[in-house]
Amino acid sequence: MRFFEFQRDARGETRKLLLAFVLTVLLLVLAINAALALAWGLTWGFWIPGDMSYPRHYFAVNTAVVLLFVLGGWWVETSRLASGGGQRLAEQMGARPAQPSGDFDEHRFSNIVDEMSISSGMKRPLAMVVACDQGINAFAAGWDEDDAVVAVTRGALEHLTREELQGLVAHEFSHIGEGDTRLNMRLIGMVFGLEMLYRMGQQLVEPDEKDRRMALALIGLAIMVAGWLGWLAGHALQAAVSRQREYLADARAVQWTRSRDGLGGVLRKIMSQQREGVVSRRVGSMVQHMLLVANESGAVAHWLDSHPTLEQRIHRIYGRAMGPLPLTRDDEPPLASEAPTPPASNPADDPGWTLI
Amino acid sequence: MSATLWVLLALGLLVFFWAVGAYNRLVRLKNAIANAFGQIDVQLKRRYDLIPNLVEVARKYLAHEAQTLEAVVAARNQAKAAEQTAAGSPLNAGALGALSGAEQVLGGALGRLFAVVEAYPDLKADQTMRELSEELSSTENRIGFARQAYNDNVLEFNDAAAQFPTLIVARLFNFQPQSMLESTTSDVERQAVKVAF
Repeated sequence: MRFFEFQRDARGETRKLLLAFVLTVLLLVLAINAALALAWGLTWGFWIPGDMSYPRHYFAVNTAVVLLFVLGGWWVETSRLASGGGQRLAEQMGARPAQPSGDFDEHRFSNIVDEMSISSGMKRPLAMVVACDQGINAFAAGWDEDDAVVAVTRGALEHLTREELQGLVAHEFSHIGEGDTRLNMRLIGMVFGLEMLYRMGQQLVEPDEKDRRMALALIGLAIMVAGWLGWLAGHALQAAVSRQREYLADARAVQWTRSRDGLGGVLRKIMSQQREGVVSRRVGSMVQHMLLVANESGAVAHWLDSHPTLEQRIHRIYGRAMGPLPLTRDDEPPLASEAPTPPASNPADDPGWTLI
Repeated sequence: MSATLWVLLALGLLVFFWAVGAYNRLVRLKNAIANAFGQIDVQLKRRYDLIPNLVEVARKYLAHEAQTLEAVVAARNQAKAAEQTAAGSPLNAGALGALSGAEQVLGGALGRLFAVVEAYPDLKADQTMRELSEELSSTENRIGFARQAYNDNVLEFNDAAAQFPTLIVARLFNFQPQSMLESTTSDVERQAVKVAF
């Protein structure tokens, strides 16, 4: 895997997408102003004779309100995660600190976190475990390196070999180092602000008790339409940024472990689990972006997904498609991953033995 | 002052600020290399400290394998001495080479010890032994990753020092390209492993 090259690609794509996001917000401001100007004209200008003048500071106020919503969303998410927020957030998602003296697996996990912090040159984060989750998954939370948390599920500790656990932890380290949690939460905050704008427009369109719509309805409609388009565009861009950061984290994980079979093995085992119908505990859609693999049941459209598909990620790592891996864990390094795995069995066809 | 003079002054300032930025970046990258070596050093010390514990736990069970154990202890002492020499001069290629050689010998001795341990199920199942093996294996990984991080830092520095236009600043202030740690200096070890029964 040409991980340095993939990292450059992912960073370049992120920059372009963020620029597009800024442009979207600017376009939204223009669109709202234009729509409100039209709405005003239609509501007042044509009925009342005389000049069709807009209220003073109409456009300035419109612009200010839109920016208030968007930047307000950014600010809310920022303060939610601000110092000490990493561990709190992780605990809300069901994690507890790892206990290396209590359990051999958690001891091994704690050592692996140390190893990855050496390999990446980063400060060692707090290691946490989501104890009652049998699905293989992990997340990284925290504002920056000083506040960082890496959490894995119980399923990951039990089903993964040492090399695979290294790949998993390295992926999460990349998110911490690149500030992905911060970036994603801010983008989601802004998208939330855009949604609020849409809802405000919706409120204005709603008839009140006396069924009186006329006055603000058109203005409300204008805000609703522009707001909805802005929300959709913002959401799509935020999802695209999240996907690029996942690719970046995958490439960094392979760089730091110098092993495709580490993270590659994890993704293939998750593929196995998904086919068997085992998924990790559901968490809210606002924090999906933090997980290694999203476990929301299929988003509306693939361009609103926060993560690339497992197939795409495995293809990037190995350079070609690979099948799922059985969940056996041996304490020695895994065999060559190119060994064919038994196909999903149809009892009639199964000869009862496998040639490897 | 004429307009041309102002423009020249502005351009001059720009170049100056760029040069300061480039110099600082080179300094930062070079310091990262020394820091990464320090990290290798820390992990080597950890391994030297763990090995005596390992030998003591194993000695109880491995009464007939004294030779293997002694080989490990001797190799460990030699490697520790080499490490102390190298720690005094982290960027000296000769000292690093000697350290590398001593590490090879220690790695070999440990490998033989673990092979012997496989034949003693009681020892293998011992809880302390299991913890110690995990610690040792983690330490081996840490040493590997520390060396890797060192090489990654050297790569980044060498890239920066060799690319134009930072190259000019590098030459001016004598930032030499650094050499990476090699995995083995022995030609014998580079040959393919022959499996014989």
